[in-house]
Amino acid sequence: MRMNRNRVVGLTAIVLAILIFSMLVVSHEFPILNSAETVKMETTEFLWTYRLIDMIAQAFVLFAAAACCVAILRAGEKE
Amino acid sequence: MIPLSYYIMGAIALYIVGMYCLAVKRNMIRLVIGIEILINAAHLNFIAFSAHRSPSFIDPLGHSIVIMSIVFAGCVTAVALTIVTYAYKHYGTLDVRKLRRLRW
Amino acid sequence: MFTKPLNTLLILMVTMPILGWVTYKKKYRKIRGLYAVLGLSVTAYFLYELYLEVSEKGNLRSCSLPFGACLDIDMLSIFMALIYVMIGLLAAAYSVKYMERDTGLTEYYTLLLGMVAGMMGVTFAGDFFTLFVFWELMSLTSYALVAFRKERWAPIEAGFKYLIMSAAGGATILLAMSFLYGMTGTLNFADIATGLGSVASNEWLFVTLTLIIVGFGVKAAIVPFHTWLPDAHPEAPAPISALLSGVLVPTGAYALIRVLLLVFGSIQSVWQMTLLVFAVLTMFVGNLMALLQDDIKRLLAFSTIAQMGYILFGFSIASQQGLTGSLFHIMNHAIMKSLLFLCAGAFVHQVGTRDLRKLEGIRQTMPVTSMLLAIGAVAIAAIPPLNGFWSEWMIVLAGIEAEMLPYSALMIINILLSVAYYLRLIYVIVLKEPTPVSKKATEVPLSMLIPIIILAALCIIIGVYPGPFVALAQQAANATLGL
Repeated sequence: MRMNRNRVVGLTAIVLAILIFSMLVVSHEFPILNSAETVKMETTEFLWTYRLIDMIAQAFVLFAAAACCVAILRAGEKE
Repeated sequence: MIPLSYYIMGAIALYIVGMYCLAVKRNMIRLVIGIEILINAAHLNFIAFSAHRSPSFIDPLGHSIVIMSIVFAGCVTAVALTIVTYAYKHYGTLDVRKLRRLRW
Repeated sequence: MFTKPLNTLLILMVTMPILGWVTYKKKYRKIRGLYAVLGLSVTAYFLYELYLEVSEKGNLRSCSLPFGACLDIDMLSIFMALIYVMIGLLAAAYSVKYMERDTGLTEYYTLLLGMVAGMMGVTFAGDFFTLFVFWELMSLTSYALVAFRKERWAPIEAGFKYLIMSAAGGATILLAMSFLYGMTGTLNFADIATGLGSVASNEWLFVTLTLIIVGFGVKAAIVPFHTWLPDAHPEAPAPISALLSGVLVPTGAYALIRVLLLVFGSIQSVWQMTLLVFAVLTMFVGNLMALLQDDIKRLLAFSTIAQMGYILFGFSIASQQGLTGSLFHIMNHAIMKSLLFLCAGAFVHQVGTRDLRKLEGIRQTMPVTSMLLAIGAVAIAAIPPLNGFWSEWMIVLAGIEAEMLPYSALMIINILLSVAYYLRLIYVIVLKEPTPVSKKATEVPLSMLIPIIILAALCIIIGVYPGPFVALAQQAANATLGL
C-alpha cells in the first residue's frame, strides 16, 4: 500500500474518530430497559397454534424458491 | 395514536409509488425494488389494522401474516434477481426497454 | 398435516433432489422422470379416495377458530384437483422423453411437482392467507419453469416479464386481503362472508373488488393484464406450456370465482356486470390476435386467452347452468389445450422450429401426431361430436336463459372467429405440400405419443358420452353455490 498524503490523513481521521466515540460511550451510561418480567412470545405462540398449516407451507415455499434459484443458476450444457 | 386513515393513505401512497416505479423505471433492478415496495404497502396496511382494532390490544393475526409475507417477498426477489443476472448476460445491459425482441 | 394427496406431492417435491443426487450417472437418469410419474399416479389414487370421502360427507373442513388457518375441501376443489393431477401426470410422462437433452432435470421435476402441489393447495384452501401461500408456491415454481432454458435469450425475457406482472398481481391480492382483514377481523372465507353481511355496501368494498379482479386477473389472463401470456407460453418447454395454459391460468379464474362468490355476495350484480364486460373484451382480443399469428405456440397462447374469455362469461352468469358450463369447459379446455401444446412440442422436438410456414404439410412425415393435432383442433373449435362443442353450447344456453341474449350472440361470433384459425392450423399441417424443413422430420418416439393418444381418446370419449362428466361438473357447481 502506497503511503501518500491522502491515505495518511484518512487513517488518522478514522483512528481519531474511533478513539473519541469509544470515550463517549464509556463515559455515558446506557439506559437499558430492565424489565422484571420475561419477554412474552405472543406472536410466536399464536403462529404455532393457529397458523401451523401456513408455516409448514411456508417452509415448502422456501424450499421451492431455493430450487428455483438452483434451476436457473445451474451449470448448463458443456457440449 | 395516529388516526387510522393516515395509515391507509400511507399504504395507498406506497402502492401508487410502487406501480409508478414498475411503469416508468428502466433499470431492471429498480423494477424488482418496485415489487418490494408494492408488497410493503400491504404489510403497512395489515399492521395498521391490527393495531387499531381496539384501543389497548394488538391483534396478533395481522402481525403473524406480515411475518410470513415478508418471507415470500424475499423469495420472489431472489428468483427475480437470478433472472436479471441471466438477462444481463444475454443482453449486456440492465435496461428493460432493450428487452423488446419478442413482439407480436 | 394437510390431506393425503397434498402431503404426497410435497414429500415427493422434497425427496426428488435426493433421488437426483443418487442417480447422477447417465444411464440412471430416466429414474427421475419415472419417479415423478409414479408419484403423481399415487397422488391420483389418494385424490380418488378423497373424492369418495367428500362426496358422502359434503365438505371437509378443518377450521377450528376464525383466526386459524384451515383447509376447506368441497366438490369444486376435488374437481379442479382431479384435472390438475391428470394433466400433471401426462405432462410428466411426456417430459421423460422430451427433456432428455436438457440439463438440470432434477430441478425440473422438483419444480413441476411443486407447481402441481401449489395448485392443489390453492383449491384446498379455506382461508385467504392459506390460498395466498399456495398461490406463491405455484407462482414461484412457474417463474423458474418458464425461464428454464436459460441459454437462449427468449425464455429469460419472457420469464422476467411474466415475473414482474405476476408478482405485481400477487401484491395487489395481498393489499385486497389487508382491506378485507380490516373490515372483518378475520381471513377465513366463511367468516368474512358473515362479517361483510353486516357491513353496509360502502366504497371500500368496491375498492377491494377492483383490487381482487386486477390481482387474480393477471394470472387468469383477463384482457388488459394478459400481456405476459403470449410471450411466456411459447418460450416455456412444451409440457410446461401445456401445464401453464391448461391448468395454471384456469386456477386464476377458479380463485377469482371462489372469492367473488363467497365474499362479495352483497354486491353480486356489480361484479357480474364487470366480469361480463371483461369476458367479452378478453374473447375478442384473444381471437382477433390469434388470427394474425405465424408461430404455432403463440397462436395456441392467444387461443387460451379467448377460451378464458368464454369461461369468465360462464362465471359471470353465476347461475347453476353457467357455472356448470364453465367448470365443464375448464376440464375440456385443459384436455384439448394440453393435447395441442404437446403435439406442437412434438413438432418442435423433431424439427426445431415453431414457424407455421416452415411446418407445412408435416403430415407426410409425422402422420400420427398430425392426426392427433387435427382431433384436438376440431375439438377446440366446437365442432359437434367432440367435447368442446358440449361445454361451449352449455355456456351459450346459460347466457340465453339468464336473459343475456346479446352477450351470447357475441360469444357465438367469437366461436366462429376461432373456427377460422383452428381450421387454418389443420389446413397448414395436414393438407399443404411439405416444405424442405418438414420433410426431414421423423415420427416421435412412443413414450411421447402415449400421453397425446390418451388425451385425444379422452376428447372423443367425453364428446360422445358427456353424461358422467357433466354430472361431476354439476356437483361441483352446486357445492360452490351452496345448494
